Amino acid sequence: MSDVLLSIRNVQKFYGRLAAVGGVSLDIRDNEFFALLGASGSGKTTLLRMLAGFETPTSGAILLDGQDVSAVPPNHRPVNLMFQSYALFPHMTVAQNIAYGLEMDRMPRSEIRTRVDEMLEVIQLSHLSGRKPEQLSGGQRQRVALARALVKRPRVLLLDEPLGALDKKLRGEMQLELKRIQDEFGITFIVVTHDQEEALVMADRVAILKDGLLLQCGTPHEIYEHPESRFAADFIGVMNFLPVRVQGGRLVAENGNVFKGALPNGLGEGDEAVVAVRPERLRLGASDGDNSLTGRVAATAYHGLDLQLHLDTPNSPGPVLVRLTADAAEGRVYREGEEVTVGWSARDTRVFPA
Amino acid sequence: MADRKPLYLMSPALAWLTAFMVVPCLLVLALAFFRRGIYGGIEYTFTFETIALVFDPLYASIFLKSAVIAGLAGLIASVIGYAAAYAIASMPARHQPMLLFFAVLPFWSNYLVRTYAWIVLLNREGLITAIARGLGYDGELPRLLYTESAVVVGLVYNYLPFVILACYAPLSRLNPEIAEASRDLGGSAWTTFRRITLPMTAPGIATGFVFVFVLSIGNFVTPALLGGGQFQMIGNLVYAQFLTANDWPFGAALSMVLIAIMMGLLTLQTFVTERASGARARET
Repeated sequence: MSDVLLSIRNVQKFYGRLAAVGGVSLDIRDNEFFALLGASGSGKTTLLRMLAGFETPTSGAILLDGQDVSAVPPNHRPVNLMFQSYALFPHMTVAQNIAYGLEMDRMPRSEIRTRVDEMLEVIQLSHLSGRKPEQLSGGQRQRVALARALVKRPRVLLLDEPLGALDKKLRGEMQLELKRIQDEFGITFIVVTHDQEEALVMADRVAILKDGLLLQCGTPHEIYEHPESRFAADFIGVMNFLPVRVQGGRLVAENGNVFKGALPNGLGEGDEAVVAVRPERLRLGASDGDNSLTGRVAATAYHGLDLQLHLDTPNSPGPVLVRLTADAAEGRVYREGEEVTVGWSARDTRVFPA
Repeated sequence: MADRKPLYLMSPALAWLTAFMVVPCLLVLALAFFRRGIYGGIEYTFTFETIALVFDPLYASIFLKSAVIAGLAGLIASVIGYAAAYAIASMPARHQPMLLFFAVLPFWSNYLVRTYAWIVLLNREGLITAIARGLGYDGELPRLLYTESAVVVGLVYNYLPFVILACYAPLSRLNPEIAEASRDLGGSAWTTFRRITLPMTAPGIATGFVFVFVLSIGNFVTPALLGGGQFQMIGNLVYAQFLTANDWPFGAALSMVLIAIMMGLLTLQTFVTERASGARARET
């Protein structure tokens, strides 16, 4: 427990009678890259604003280094926020923007200059220190916003959709850049994002929020391979869902197909359930695994790295997605309407209540 | 061809302004280079004497006093107006149009009526005196009406809506995250206002101030009614030259200097706000 830096204890936030955050508990470790993942309205931004100090929890506590900071105003918290809009000061230069937070700390002028110059080098914008924000590109503004929050060496750096405004290529670069900087500075990063891929790539641990509640928290591998709810399974990556009914302890589809998989607690005889399997876990041929299904090719999509087949099958209302690696596909051409059987192991099967 | 279209559309306005604004101004300007005839009227001999007279210490002091009063009115209106605009911009967005409507409401009644209302308030037997008496004060009350202060109060009251509107525009456009960023970086509420909000909305204050100043320095109704002829502002002086002293050339010369001052200020203000708002437009 000693390495817990930030402890969120049963935090609730009500607006009138509406619960934006409905009782979330999370422990975030020192030097961790943590992601709060959720769709809009999931409460992730409200939670972030409570961590920054712009909102006070209706109940519960936020502990930083064991001290309750729930009621500490934002200017007295060793926590800084990189805003989604960047919120750079338009009437100040890049260097003045970065220096602002240090001036608030009444740091000596010479030391401010050293720290700002250092920071400008980290974000590789030393040559633009005299520019105003309006004269910068989107990517450059993003770096300035990061530098301005980071230069104060906060205990926790909060980032609200940090890459949301960037184009796809730049986003990929910045994901790695953020990880590098986090590592270099050794500061705890908490990123709020709606982009599950971003969360998986950057974070050490991910918390999935839905409707103001914490659904699951774990490493990217854990939440991808072992989703604890149908929502989490659906939200992270791509998942095939096959409706079944529990009959005699077995999972039986409407067409009589029987699937093997570990039954979660709470599912009883006669209950409706879904069998979930990732497209990349499906292999060609029934022999290769405990479970199998047969369908007709509805569409194919070639991605270079892999070949994706959409199978129409009586086991699923929508098409079942199969992802074959280039090796497994072996250059074979699949025609529409062709019958294909795929199999997978019970180990790769998740079962959720319907 | 396409870039000629705006010219066609502008031509009625241009024709109107030329006929009723530019030409009369040029006529007045021309008048300023003649002198008054012995029996009134205009003596059409070219001279700089009339314009030189404007810079005579007697008249220069009236200019200065007018500028001080207009400046004071502009300053007070800017402070009150900015505070009001700030409050309106902080209200829930759905209430803001209604509050702005109320702020501008006095504009819809006649300027003279509004100024007369102040006479009723400031009178020796007026409302303010009555309130002071009602509160049990029976000492000597300072004279309120027919003072410079009364003129300033009247000007501030009449032109306040301009300042509110001019300040509201930049305040309502502010991204609230910018002020939050300052708080997040360690700035107190006051520091955030002083170093972030105020500088970002200063062009609005400048616009409001210049509006009030320009409208006040040439004003002759308010000094006449609330100043009670105790002192003169430039507007009253011009009025007198044309209507009582019958010295049109001197009236014209005074007008020209006044117009020159206003033009200078308005040009400066346009230039300053243009730069600031241009910067903002590119930033978003």
